[in-house]
Amino acid sequence: MAAVGAALTVFLTGVGGWLLLRWVGDALSPARSTAPQRVPFTGGLPLEVHAWSRYHARYYAMALLFLAFDMEMVFMYPWAVVFVREGVTALVEMLMFIIILVLGILYAWRERALAWA
Amino acid sequence: MAGAGTGVGVRRVLAGLAGRAPARVFVVAGRDARESVQGLRLDPRLEFVDSPRAAAILLVVGDLPEPLLAAGLALHDSMPRPRATVWWIPASGGPKRSDFPGALVVRAGEDVAAAISRTQAALLLGRRASEPDLLPDTDPAPWRGVGPYGQGGTGMTGGVPYGRPLAERAPDRDGLELDQLPVGVGPFFPPFPPGFVLEAKLQGDVIQAAALGENAFARTEPRGDTMAAVSGPFARALTQPVLITELELARARHHLAWLGHALRVQGLGALGRRAWRLASGISPVRAQEVRVFSRMLEATRSLGWATASVGVIDTALLAQMAPGPVTRAAGSARDAREEDPAYIALGFESVVQPDGDARARWRQRVDEALQSLQLAGQAGERLSTPVGKIESPRGTLTDAVSPAAELLDLVPALVTGMEWGDAMTTIVSLDLDLEEAAGRPVPAA
Repeated sequence: MAAVGAALTVFLTGVGGWLLLRWVGDALSPARSTAPQRVPFTGGLPLEVHAWSRYHARYYAMALLFLAFDMEMVFMYPWAVVFVREGVTALVEMLMFIIILVLGILYAWRERALAWA
Repeated sequence: MAGAGTGVGVRRVLAGLAGRAPARVFVVAGRDARESVQGLRLDPRLEFVDSPRAAAILLVVGDLPEPLLAAGLALHDSMPRPRATVWWIPASGGPKRSDFPGALVVRAGEDVAAAISRTQAALLLGRRASEPDLLPDTDPAPWRGVGPYGQGGTGMTGGVPYGRPLAERAPDRDGLELDQLPVGVGPFFPPFPPGFVLEAKLQGDVIQAAALGENAFARTEPRGDTMAAVSGPFARALTQPVLITELELARARHHLAWLGHALRVQGLGALGRRAWRLASGISPVRAQEVRVFSRMLEATRSLGWATASVGVIDTALLAQMAPGPVTRAAGSARDAREEDPAYIALGFESVVQPDGDARARWRQRVDEALQSLQLAGQAGERLSTPVGKIESPRGTLTDAVSPAAELLDLVPALVTGMEWGDAMTTIVSLDLDLEEAAGRPVPAA
């Protein structure tokens, strides 16, 4: 019961604090924003559609780059430990692995994931 | 009581300090206004901001055609308080109407920067009241659902959110069916020329379809002289001999002013101001400074990355266009000055760039500005020969062809498929001017 009471106290304090901060913000702000002030600025034209829109942020390009470099590191640490013992075999294996990852980077490059703009 | 007195005192001191800061100005430029505004760009008393949200003063320049006036009023109302409007009429005569009631009217010959700066100080000190809204404070499209309390419906959370339909859907470049957002940008979007309206369909930041809004300057009744739309000495040179020095200095000034704007759009404001300083004090003896500046631009890697291979125009289209910096930046050597005996005597040879992208265009304009300074230095008292066409800063101008209108027509096809940043770079790189385009329509082929 005490646990529920504590949780309730935290919840009510949180909500109360939030309402208080909102009230302070409203009380301090010099003026209410008007309808024309709330319109997003695109150069003066009225808006035609709602701004809720789902679009493709193309996270896969970022994921691809992350995987390329992250996987490289994951494999390289144990590889560095055994490299002296395994010799040329380890070098060739690592080269093959890196070539496969570079293909991913080249694909991301083509998709303009690395572009400046 | 003492506390209240201190509070008022602190407030006065702070307002006084704020009043001495540069006035934050948002420009709404109407007819014949671009050149006049350019003259204010370097004034230390003013700070030009890119959104009305950041402005205290709305600077309305010249006469606004009817379609632009609506946008101007909406921008006025979207400014935060305290706010004021300064209506500057740089041309003599000027409009009689009073579309912005309460605006401070500044006429030709008066110091507009001082007036703006005084107005901001008066606003902050409370000596001038903030202007009320000019449009009604009603939501243009309130939230409406189907139920009696506005609830329910078919939108994302029911109803038609704020009365606006949700975005349509269209296939995206990865083969997915996703929302497509129609967005109208303009007519006073600061990176674009005044009056330029781009109706884009955006998916993320990719422009999937683009169209131009109607040219607001074209709707107004035609004036007696069609050439007035083209600035300064170039219009005169079409019919009468003009000093080559005057023409070439005007060209160099135009290109450097354009460069300043383009650099600002690229986020390189300090370099942009440098270009404007060069433009404002242009003279043949300062060619070396322009050369140094050109090397600085080449050394600015981010400028090259952002503009290289952006906005390349189809070669078949280029071949049909009137010559100008844009076609010369794509390797075509045509230039109207090659047919003028006066220029031939000066040993004029057109300069070109091979690449045809946005980077080639700024390099081309820098090169042409340098060449113009050299020609202006050599020309002495020589006069141009009116041969029925003249090389204006935007291209070869004749009685029938306006390079500005041709460049404007390129935009929709050019920006379709581009990401928004590239589209802005491309549009700026064309050096568009709606007023000039409206002054001389391209005749139907």
